[in-house]
Amino acid sequence: MKLPVVHFTQEQEQFRLEVRAFLQRHLKEGTFRTKCDSWLSGSDPVFSKLVAEQGWIGMTWPQEYGGGERSTIERYILTEEFLAAGAPVAAHWFADRQTGPLLLRFGTEEQRQLFLPKIIRGDCFFAIGLSEPNSGSDLASVRTKAEKVEGGWLVNGAKTWTSNAHDAHYMVTLVRTAPYDQVSKHSGLSQLIIDLHAPGVTITPIPYLTGERHFNDVFFENVFVPDAMVVGTIGNGWTQGLAELAFERSGPERILSTFPLLNELIIELKQAYDTVGLATASKLLAEMWSLRNLSIGVAQVLEEGGEVAIPAALVKSIGTKFEQKIPEIARLLVATYPRLQAERAFDRYMAESILHAPGFTIRGGTSEVLYGIVAKGVVAQ
Amino acid sequence: MSEMLEFVTEVVEKIYKDLITKETVDLLEEGKWATTLWQQLVDNELLKVAITEQYGGANGDIADLLALYQLTGYYAVPAPVLEHTLANFILEYVRLTPFESITTISFNDKQMLTMTNGKLDGNIPNVPWARSAQQLVTFAQEGEVLKLIAVGLAQASIVQATNLAAEPRDTVSFQQAEIIAQTEINEQQLQKLIKYTTAAKLAALSGALDKAFQLSVRYSKEREQFGRPIHRFQLVQQHLANLAGEAAIATAAIENMAGALVNETERYEVAFTSIRLDEASKIVATSAHQVHAAIGVTYEHSLQHYTRRLWAWREEGLTTHYWQKQLADDLLQVENVWSWMTTK
Repeated sequence: MKLPVVHFTQEQEQFRLEVRAFLQRHLKEGTFRTKCDSWLSGSDPVFSKLVAEQGWIGMTWPQEYGGGERSTIERYILTEEFLAAGAPVAAHWFADRQTGPLLLRFGTEEQRQLFLPKIIRGDCFFAIGLSEPNSGSDLASVRTKAEKVEGGWLVNGAKTWTSNAHDAHYMVTLVRTAPYDQVSKHSGLSQLIIDLHAPGVTITPIPYLTGERHFNDVFFENVFVPDAMVVGTIGNGWTQGLAELAFERSGPERILSTFPLLNELIIELKQAYDTVGLATASKLLAEMWSLRNLSIGVAQVLEEGGEVAIPAALVKSIGTKFEQKIPEIARLLVATYPRLQAERAFDRYMAESILHAPGFTIRGGTSEVLYGIVAKGVVAQ
Repeated sequence: MSEMLEFVTEVVEKIYKDLITKETVDLLEEGKWATTLWQQLVDNELLKVAITEQYGGANGDIADLLALYQLTGYYAVPAPVLEHTLANFILEYVRLTPFESITTISFNDKQMLTMTNGKLDGNIPNVPWARSAQQLVTFAQEGEVLKLIAVGLAQASIVQATNLAAEPRDTVSFQQAEIIAQTEINEQQLQKLIKYTTAAKLAALSGALDKAFQLSVRYSKEREQFGRPIHRFQLVQQHLANLAGEAAIATAAIENMAGALVNETERYEVAFTSIRLDEASKIVATSAHQVHAAIGVTYEHSLQHYTRRLWAWREEGLTTHYWQKQLADDLLQVENVWSWMTTK
C-alpha cells in the first residue's frame, strides 16, 4: 500500500494560518470553548453560520452552487485546525463531509440546486440515517421500508444512533425499496432524503455517557417522501453508501478527537519541566505524525479520484485507537481528577476524553468490521 | 528518485531476488562471506549509485539510498551493502574521497575514539562487518575538536561478535593507528550525519518489517486449520489488519522522512520515524509470530531472519531512547505543539 507524500504549498500554509487566526480570535472572544470530540459533541448552529460566512462549508464544491472549488487538501487543513482547537462544528459536519459529496456524485440537478447553496450558507444541516435497532455494523440487514405510492414513497421503520438528528433539517436515509432477500442482502437498498420536520417523523434522544444529547432514535410512521427526494438510482443505495464511507473514515476526525487533551498534557509537562514525561509524550506525537502522513496521503488519492477503501479503513482503525490511548497515557503523566465541570482544562478534557473514547472505535464502522475489510483486502492482493 | 536510479533499484532488486534465498542468509550464520552476491554488485557498479560522477557514481541522494536500504532489509541481504554505500556517501558529504574496497561505518552517541598527534586510540563495540572491511568511517575526538575519520582496519585488533540476527558486529580496538583521511566537523554537520545514519537503519528496518508482514499474509493463505485457511478466522484477520497497518505506517513514515531529508526541511521526522518504527517492530514481530505459530519460532522458517533483524536493528546506532530525549529537549523550547508540528 503506497500512498503519496503531500507537501503543502505556500498558499496552503497561508490558508492554515488564516483558519488558525479565525479560531484564535473566536476563542479569545468567547464564541466557543475548546472541547474534546467537538466534531460530534459540539453542535452550535451560530458558530456554523460564522464558518459559513468565511466560505468554509462546502469549500471544495463547484462555484455554481456557491462552493469554493478548493482542493481536498485545503479542506483537510481546515478540518485539522477546527479539531485541534476543539471548535463546535457538529451542526454542519455531516452535510459538509458526506451529503454534499453524495449529491454532487449521485444527486439530481434539482436536489443540488435546492440543498447545496443552503448547506454552504450554514442554513441547512443533515443527519445520516444508517444504523437501525438490531443492525449496528451490519448495514445489509437494514429493514426500514419504503413502499412505492403515487408520486413518491411511504416510509416506515426506525433509525437509531443517529448523530445530531435533533439539530438537522434533513436526513439521507438508507431504506429498503425491495423485499429483504436473504441471498443478496445488498440489493434493494436505496437512499432517500427525508425532511425531519415532515408528519410521521418522531425524534427522541438517546443520552450519551456524558448525559449530553448526540444520538437519537428516529421513527418513521407513514412518512411521505416525494420521488424528487430519491438520491441516485433506486436499488443502488449500497454502492452509493460505500462511496461515502471513504470520506467518512480517513479524515483527521479519526486522529484528533482528543488532541486538545494531548496539547494540554504537553503544556502541563513543560510547566513542570518534566523531561521524562515529555519523552513519553513524544511517543504520542510520533504516532500522530505517522497517522497524519497516512491520512493526508489518502486525502490526496481521494482528490485524484483513486481507490482508498482499504487504507481508509486502516486509518480509521489505527487512528481511533490512538485517540483512545491519549487519555490513558496522559493520566499517568499528570495527576488528574476528571470532571466535566472542572475549572482546570486538563481535568475537563480528560473527563470528555474518557467518556467519549469508547465511541471512537464504534462509530463509522467498528474496529472489528474494519479489521475484516483490511484483512480481506491484503489476502486478495 | 530519478529514472536512472529507479532503474538501478530494479536491477538491485533483481539481483537480490535471484541470489538471496533462505539458504544464503543461513550461510551468514556460519560466518561465510556472500562471494557471488558481492561480486555481482561490484561488477554491475551498484555500490556506487549514491556517490558523485567524479568517482564513477550516479549522483544519488539520501532518498535513493533509503530506497535501496528498504530492499536490503526486505531481502535480509547478508552483506555490508548499507554500511559500504553509506560510508562512502558520508565521506563525500564531508568532502573526503570514497573507497572502492569494502568500507564500514559506526556512529554512536558515545565517543570512544581519541586522536593524539594524528594517531588513533580506543575501541568501539558492535562495528558492522569489521572483519570483512578494509576501512572504518567513524568519529574521533582530538582535544576539543570532533573529527570524521577513515581508518584502515588492518591495524586494528578485532574481536568477532554478532547481533541478535547473527550479523557480524565486532569489537574494534586501535592503538596508535594511522588515519587515512580526516576532517573537522561542526555541530550542524554532526547532526546531519547522525540523522543520515539513523534514517539508513530505519529504512532497512522498514524493509524487514514489510517482509514479516508479507510472509504472514502468505502463510495465512497456505496454512489450514479446522478445515479452512487460517486467514478466514476473525482473530487471525485482526493480526493481519494490525500487520498491514504497521507496514503502511512504516512505509509512509520512511517516505516522509526521506522527503524531508532531501528537501533539507527535516525537523523532527527522523526522531518520529525512529519512535514509531520502534513500536511497529514490536507489533509486527509479535503478530507475525502469532500468525506463523510454532513453525515461525524455528530456524526452519525464514520469518526468523526478519524478526530477529527487527529486534537487533532497533537497538543499533542511535536508538529510540536517544530520539525521545532529543524531542523532550525540543519540546521544552516549543511554544505551541500544534503549530510546531504543522507550520513550517
